[in-house]
Amino acid sequence: MIACVAVIGHQNNPLYIQSFTEADDALKLHHIVHCSLDVVEERVNNPKKSGPTLNETFLGLLYPTENYKVYGYLTNTKVKFILVTTDLDVRDADVRNFFRRFHAAYVDAVSNPFHVPGKKITSKTFAERVSNIVKSFGLSSAG
Amino acid sequence: MIGVGKVKQYSNVLDKPLSKGKQEVSLSAFAFLFSELVQYNQTQVDNISELERRLEDAGYAVGARVLELLCHREKGNRKETRLLGILSFVHSTVWKVLFGKVADSLEKGTEHEDEYMISEKELLVNRFISIPKDMGTFNCGAFVAGIVRGVLDGAGFPAVVTAHFVPMDGQQRPRTTILIKFAEEVLRREARLG
Repeated sequence: MIACVAVIGHQNNPLYIQSFTEADDALKLHHIVHCSLDVVEERVNNPKKSGPTLNETFLGLLYPTENYKVYGYLTNTKVKFILVTTDLDVRDADVRNFFRRFHAAYVDAVSNPFHVPGKKITSKTFAERVSNIVKSFGLSSAG
Repeated sequence: MIGVGKVKQYSNVLDKPLSKGKQEVSLSAFAFLFSELVQYNQTQVDNISELERRLEDAGYAVGARVLELLCHREKGNRKETRLLGILSFVHSTVWKVLFGKVADSLEKGTEHEDEYMISEKELLVNRFISIPKDMGTFNCGAFVAGIVRGVLDGAGFPAVVTAHFVPMDGQQRPRTTILIKFAEEVLRREARLG
Protein backbone atom coordinates (compact mmCIF):
# COMPACT_ATOMS: atom_id res chain seq x y z
CA MET A 1 0.00 0.00 0.00
CA ILE A 2 1.48 3.25 -1.04
CA ALA A 3 0.95 5.91 1.55
CA CYS A 4 2.20 8.94 -0.31
CA VAL A 5 4.21 10.19 -3.27
CA ALA A 6 5.96 13.53 -3.48
CA VAL A 7 7.87 15.56 -6.05
CA ILE A 8 10.42 17.98 -4.61
CA GLY A 9 12.01 20.68 -6.74
CA HIS A 10 15.71 21.40 -6.92
CA GLN A 11 15.55 24.05 -4.23
CA ASN A 12 13.81 21.56 -1.97
CA ASN A 13 10.46 23.21 -2.58
CA PRO A 14 7.52 20.79 -2.80
CA LEU A 15 6.01 20.59 -6.27
CA TYR A 16 3.46 17.87 -5.71
CA ILE A 17 2.45 15.90 -2.62
CA GLN A 18 -0.34 13.36 -2.74
CA SER A 19 -1.32 10.90 -0.05
CA PHE A 20 -3.32 7.79 -0.79
CA THR A 21 -4.45 6.58 2.62
CA GLU A 22 -7.24 8.34 4.45
CA ALA A 23 -6.31 6.92 7.80
CA ASP A 24 -2.98 8.60 8.29
CA ASP A 25 -2.40 12.18 9.05
CA ALA A 26 -1.29 14.08 5.94
CA LEU A 27 0.98 16.23 8.06
CA LYS A 28 2.86 13.22 9.38
CA LEU A 29 3.50 12.08 5.83
CA HIS A 30 4.72 15.55 4.87
CA HIS A 31 7.11 15.39 7.80
CA ILE A 32 8.45 12.00 6.74
CA VAL A 33 8.98 13.28 3.19
CA HIS A 34 10.78 16.32 4.54
CA CYS A 35 13.11 14.24 6.70
CA SER A 36 13.93 11.97 3.79
CA LEU A 37 15.27 15.00 1.91
CA ASP A 38 18.17 15.06 4.37
CA VAL A 39 19.05 11.50 3.50
CA VAL A 40 18.95 12.35 -0.21
CA GLU A 41 21.32 15.28 0.34
CA GLU A 42 23.68 13.08 2.26
CA ARG A 43 23.68 10.44 -0.47
CA VAL A 44 24.31 13.04 -3.15
CA ASN A 45 27.13 14.80 -1.34
CA ASN A 46 29.03 11.73 -0.20
CA PRO A 47 28.88 9.40 -3.16
CA LYS A 48 30.15 5.92 -2.69
CA LYS A 49 33.30 5.75 -4.71
CA SER A 50 32.24 2.78 -6.87
CA GLY A 51 31.64 3.92 -10.47
CA PRO A 52 28.02 3.11 -11.36
CA THR A 53 26.52 4.48 -8.17
CA LEU A 54 28.05 7.88 -8.84
CA ASN A 55 25.40 9.00 -11.26
CA GLU A 56 22.48 6.62 -10.75
CA THR A 57 19.07 8.15 -10.61
CA PHE A 58 17.41 5.53 -8.41
CA LEU A 59 18.57 6.02 -4.82
CA GLY A 60 16.87 2.99 -3.32
CA LEU A 61 15.59 2.58 0.21
CA LEU A 62 16.36 5.80 2.00
CA TYR A 63 15.40 4.81 5.51
CA PRO A 64 12.78 2.66 7.24
CA THR A 65 10.62 4.20 9.97
CA GLU A 66 8.33 2.43 12.39
CA ASN A 67 5.84 1.23 9.79
CA TYR A 68 6.89 2.94 6.56
CA LYS A 69 9.58 2.50 3.98
CA VAL A 70 10.81 5.52 2.06
CA TYR A 71 12.30 5.23 -1.44
CA GLY A 72 14.03 8.00 -3.32
CA TYR A 73 14.77 8.84 -6.95
CA LEU A 74 16.81 11.78 -8.17
CA THR A 75 16.58 13.15 -11.70
CA ASN A 76 19.24 14.97 -13.67
CA THR A 77 17.69 18.33 -12.83
CA LYS A 78 17.91 17.74 -9.07
CA VAL A 79 14.20 17.04 -8.86
CA LYS A 80 13.51 14.33 -6.29
CA PHE A 81 10.70 11.82 -6.22
CA ILE A 82 9.87 10.35 -2.81
CA LEU A 83 7.73 7.26 -2.33
CA VAL A 84 6.39 6.32 1.11
CA THR A 85 4.95 2.83 1.34
CA THR A 86 3.54 0.65 4.08
CA ASP A 87 4.36 -2.65 2.39
CA LEU A 88 6.84 -4.80 4.19
CA ASP A 89 8.10 -6.79 1.23
CA VAL A 90 8.40 -4.58 -1.84
CA ARG A 91 10.61 -5.86 -4.60
CA ASP A 92 13.33 -3.54 -5.86
CA ALA A 93 12.25 -4.09 -9.46
CA ASP A 94 8.72 -2.98 -8.63
CA VAL A 95 9.90 0.28 -7.15
CA ARG A 96 12.19 0.97 -10.10
CA ASN A 97 9.31 0.30 -12.45
CA PHE A 98 7.11 2.62 -10.45
CA PHE A 99 9.65 5.42 -10.59
CA ARG A 100 10.16 4.94 -14.31
CA ARG A 101 6.45 5.44 -15.00
CA PHE A 102 6.28 8.25 -12.50
CA HIS A 103 9.19 9.98 -14.26
CA ALA A 104 7.36 9.66 -17.60
CA ALA A 105 4.25 11.27 -16.13
CA TYR A 106 6.39 14.01 -14.61
CA VAL A 107 8.13 14.76 -17.91
CA ASP A 108 4.73 15.03 -19.57
CA ALA A 109 3.53 17.47 -16.92
CA VAL A 110 6.65 19.63 -17.17
CA SER A 111 6.53 19.74 -21.01
CA ASN A 112 3.35 21.74 -20.69
CA PRO A 113 4.28 25.25 -21.92
CA PHE A 114 1.96 26.76 -19.35
CA HIS A 115 3.74 25.08 -16.48
CA VAL A 116 6.11 27.43 -14.72
CA PRO A 117 9.17 25.53 -13.53
CA GLY A 118 9.49 25.85 -9.78
CA LYS A 119 5.77 26.22 -9.18
CA LYS A 120 3.42 23.47 -8.03
CA ILE A 121 2.19 21.01 -10.61
CA THR A 122 -1.50 21.71 -11.07
CA SER A 123 -2.26 19.43 -13.98
CA LYS A 124 -5.26 17.16 -13.40
CA THR A 125 -3.96 14.70 -15.99
CA PHE A 126 -0.80 14.30 -13.98
CA ALA A 127 -2.83 13.58 -10.83
CA GLU A 128 -4.89 10.99 -12.67
CA ARG A 129 -1.87 9.25 -14.14
CA VAL A 130 -0.17 9.17 -10.77
CA SER A 131 -3.20 7.57 -9.12
CA ASN A 132 -3.31 4.98 -11.93
CA ILE A 133 0.34 4.16 -11.43
CA VAL A 134 -0.17 3.89 -7.68
CA LYS A 135 -3.14 1.54 -8.13
CA SER A 136 -1.23 -0.76 -10.45
CA PHE A 137 1.74 -0.80 -8.11
CA GLY A 138 -0.40 -2.32 -5.41
CA LEU A 139 -1.68 -5.03 -7.74
CA SER A 140 1.65 -6.09 -9.19
CA SER A 141 3.40 -6.53 -5.88
CA ALA A 142 0.46 -8.40 -4.33
CA GLY A 143 0.61 -11.14 -6.98
CA MET B 1 -10.12 -6.20 -46.23
CA ILE B 2 -9.50 -2.67 -45.01
CA GLY B 3 -8.76 -2.46 -41.33
CA VAL B 4 -7.70 -6.06 -40.82
CA GLY B 5 -4.38 -6.32 -39.06
CA LYS B 6 -4.21 -2.61 -38.26
CA VAL B 7 -1.98 -1.64 -35.36
CA LYS B 8 -3.67 0.04 -32.42
CA GLN B 9 -4.50 3.64 -33.35
CA TYR B 10 -4.86 6.18 -30.63
CA SER B 11 -7.97 8.30 -31.06
CA ASN B 12 -6.18 11.34 -29.69
CA VAL B 13 -2.59 12.20 -30.56
CA LEU B 14 -2.11 13.38 -26.97
CA ASP B 15 -2.69 9.83 -25.73
CA LYS B 16 0.34 8.43 -27.47
CA PRO B 17 3.00 7.31 -25.03
CA LEU B 18 5.84 9.76 -24.70
CA SER B 19 8.78 7.63 -25.64
CA LYS B 20 7.30 6.21 -28.82
CA GLY B 21 6.30 9.47 -30.46
CA LYS B 22 7.27 10.31 -34.04
CA GLN B 23 10.61 12.02 -33.94
CA GLU B 24 10.27 14.34 -36.90
CA VAL B 25 8.53 17.62 -37.59
CA SER B 26 8.31 19.24 -41.01
CA LEU B 27 11.06 21.82 -41.56
CA SER B 28 8.79 24.29 -43.32
CA ALA B 29 6.28 24.19 -40.47
CA PHE B 30 9.02 24.95 -38.00
CA ALA B 31 10.51 27.69 -40.23
CA PHE B 32 7.12 29.43 -40.44
CA LEU B 33 6.61 29.17 -36.71
CA PHE B 34 10.09 30.47 -35.95
CA SER B 35 9.77 33.39 -38.37
CA GLU B 36 6.47 34.29 -36.73
CA LEU B 37 8.13 34.12 -33.31
CA VAL B 38 10.89 36.51 -34.42
CA GLN B 39 8.43 38.89 -36.06
CA TYR B 40 6.17 38.92 -33.01
CA ASN B 41 9.05 39.75 -30.73
CA GLN B 42 10.29 42.43 -33.11
CA THR B 43 7.07 44.38 -32.76
CA GLN B 44 7.29 44.28 -28.99
CA VAL B 45 10.80 45.61 -28.43
CA ASP B 46 12.70 48.82 -29.13
CA ASN B 47 16.22 47.58 -29.66
CA ILE B 48 18.29 44.65 -30.83
CA SER B 49 19.63 43.44 -27.52
CA GLU B 50 16.11 43.24 -26.09
CA LEU B 51 15.06 41.12 -29.10
CA GLU B 52 18.02 38.83 -28.57
CA ARG B 53 17.19 38.50 -24.89
CA ARG B 54 13.58 37.56 -25.67
CA LEU B 55 14.60 34.88 -28.15
CA GLU B 56 17.03 33.54 -25.61
CA ASP B 57 14.34 33.39 -22.94
CA ALA B 58 12.07 31.50 -25.31
CA GLY B 59 14.91 29.05 -25.95
CA TYR B 60 15.58 28.71 -22.22
CA ALA B 61 12.08 27.34 -21.61
CA VAL B 62 12.57 24.81 -24.41
CA GLY B 63 15.96 23.80 -23.07
CA ALA B 64 14.65 23.07 -19.58
CA ARG B 65 11.95 20.78 -20.94
CA VAL B 66 14.24 19.09 -23.44
CA LEU B 67 16.60 18.20 -20.61
CA GLU B 68 13.83 16.53 -18.60
CA LEU B 69 12.62 14.66 -21.67
CA LEU B 70 16.03 13.41 -22.77
CA CYS B 71 17.09 12.35 -19.31
CA HIS B 72 14.04 10.16 -19.16
CA ARG B 73 14.40 8.71 -22.67
CA GLU B 74 18.09 8.02 -22.51
CA LYS B 75 18.95 4.50 -21.46
CA GLY B 76 19.94 4.00 -17.86
CA ASN B 77 18.78 7.44 -16.77
CA ARG B 78 22.31 8.45 -15.95
CA LYS B 79 23.03 11.85 -14.49
CA GLU B 80 25.82 14.04 -15.81
CA THR B 81 28.06 15.49 -13.16
CA ARG B 82 31.19 16.28 -15.16
CA LEU B 83 31.72 19.24 -17.44
CA LEU B 84 32.86 17.23 -20.45
CA GLY B 85 29.99 14.84 -19.87
CA ILE B 86 27.34 17.49 -20.05
CA LEU B 87 29.04 19.23 -22.99
CA SER B 88 29.16 16.07 -25.08
CA PHE B 89 25.55 15.39 -24.06
CA VAL B 90 24.53 18.80 -25.46
CA HIS B 91 26.76 18.44 -28.48
CA SER B 92 25.49 15.05 -29.59
CA THR B 93 22.25 13.96 -27.94
CA VAL B 94 20.46 17.31 -27.71
CA TRP B 95 21.54 18.33 -31.19
CA LYS B 96 20.50 14.98 -32.62
CA VAL B 97 17.03 15.20 -31.11
CA LEU B 98 16.46 18.83 -32.03
CA PHE B 99 18.19 19.12 -35.40
CA GLY B 100 18.57 15.54 -36.61
CA LYS B 101 22.36 15.49 -36.60
CA VAL B 102 25.20 16.07 -34.15
CA ALA B 103 26.80 19.50 -33.98
CA ASP B 104 29.75 20.08 -36.26
CA SER B 105 32.39 20.61 -33.62
CA LEU B 106 33.01 21.19 -29.95
CA GLU B 107 36.10 23.17 -28.99
CA LYS B 108 37.66 24.46 -25.84
CA GLY B 109 38.41 28.17 -25.84
CA THR B 110 42.08 29.10 -25.83
CA GLU B 111 41.98 32.44 -24.06
CA HIS B 112 39.91 31.52 -21.02
CA GLU B 113 39.57 28.34 -19.02
CA ASP B 114 35.81 28.57 -18.76
CA GLU B 115 34.91 29.02 -22.42
CA TYR B 116 33.74 26.32 -24.80
CA MET B 117 32.42 26.63 -28.33
CA ILE B 118 29.99 24.55 -30.32
CA SER B 119 30.22 25.37 -34.02
CA GLU B 120 27.82 24.68 -36.80
CA LYS B 121 28.22 25.45 -40.48
CA GLU B 122 24.64 26.68 -40.61
CA LEU B 123 22.15 26.55 -37.77
CA LEU B 124 18.85 24.99 -38.75
CA VAL B 125 16.92 27.91 -37.34
CA ASN B 126 18.91 30.35 -39.50
CA ARG B 127 18.47 28.46 -42.72
CA PHE B 128 15.70 30.67 -44.11
CA ILE B 129 16.74 33.88 -42.37
CA SER B 130 18.96 36.67 -43.69
CA ILE B 131 19.83 39.54 -41.38
CA PRO B 132 19.49 43.07 -42.83
CA LYS B 133 22.65 45.20 -42.60
CA ASP B 134 21.14 47.68 -40.16
CA MET B 135 20.70 45.03 -37.49
CA GLY B 136 24.40 44.68 -37.02
CA THR B 137 25.54 41.56 -35.24
CA PHE B 138 22.12 40.20 -34.35
CA ASN B 139 21.83 36.45 -34.72
CA CYS B 140 18.62 34.44 -34.51
CA GLY B 141 20.81 31.68 -33.16
CA ALA B 142 20.12 33.39 -29.84
CA PHE B 143 17.19 30.99 -29.69
CA VAL B 144 19.55 28.01 -29.85
CA ALA B 145 21.84 29.70 -27.34
CA GLY B 146 18.84 29.93 -25.02
CA ILE B 147 18.13 26.22 -25.48
CA VAL B 148 21.71 25.35 -24.55
CA ARG B 149 21.55 27.65 -21.54
CA GLY B 150 18.30 26.01 -20.43
CA VAL B 151 19.84 22.54 -20.64
CA LEU B 152 23.01 23.55 -18.79
CA ASP B 153 21.15 25.46 -16.11
CA GLY B 154 18.77 22.60 -15.45
CA ALA B 155 21.64 20.16 -15.16
CA GLY B 156 23.36 22.32 -12.56
CA PHE B 157 25.99 24.07 -14.74
CA PRO B 158 25.06 27.76 -14.80
CA ALA B 159 26.57 29.48 -17.82
CA VAL B 160 26.28 32.47 -20.12
CA VAL B 161 25.62 31.31 -23.66
CA THR B 162 25.71 33.50 -26.76
CA ALA B 163 25.60 32.95 -30.51
CA HIS B 164 28.08 34.57 -32.90
CA PHE B 165 28.78 34.67 -36.59
CA VAL B 166 32.32 33.74 -37.46
CA PRO B 167 33.28 34.60 -41.04
CA MET B 168 35.18 31.82 -42.73
CA ASP B 169 37.57 32.24 -45.65
CA GLY B 170 36.37 30.77 -48.86
CA GLN B 171 32.77 30.41 -47.73
CA GLN B 172 29.95 32.73 -48.54
CA ARG B 173 27.93 32.42 -45.37
CA PRO B 174 29.66 32.77 -42.03
CA ARG B 175 29.83 29.86 -39.63
CA THR B 176 27.81 30.10 -36.44
CA THR B 177 29.43 29.54 -33.09
CA ILE B 178 27.65 29.06 -29.77
CA LEU B 179 29.94 30.39 -27.07
CA ILE B 180 29.46 28.89 -23.61
CA LYS B 181 31.02 30.62 -20.64
CA PHE B 182 30.63 28.68 -17.41
CA ALA B 183 30.13 30.32 -14.04
CA GLU B 184 32.86 30.33 -11.40
CA GLU B 185 31.26 27.71 -9.20
CA VAL B 186 31.17 25.18 -12.04
CA LEU B 187 34.93 25.42 -12.51
CA ARG B 188 35.55 25.19 -8.79
CA ARG B 189 33.37 22.11 -8.53
CA GLU B 190 35.07 20.57 -11.52
CA ALA B 191 38.49 21.17 -9.99
CA ARG B 192 37.30 19.59 -6.75
CA LEU B 193 36.03 16.49 -8.50
CA GLY B 194 39.44 16.04 -10.01
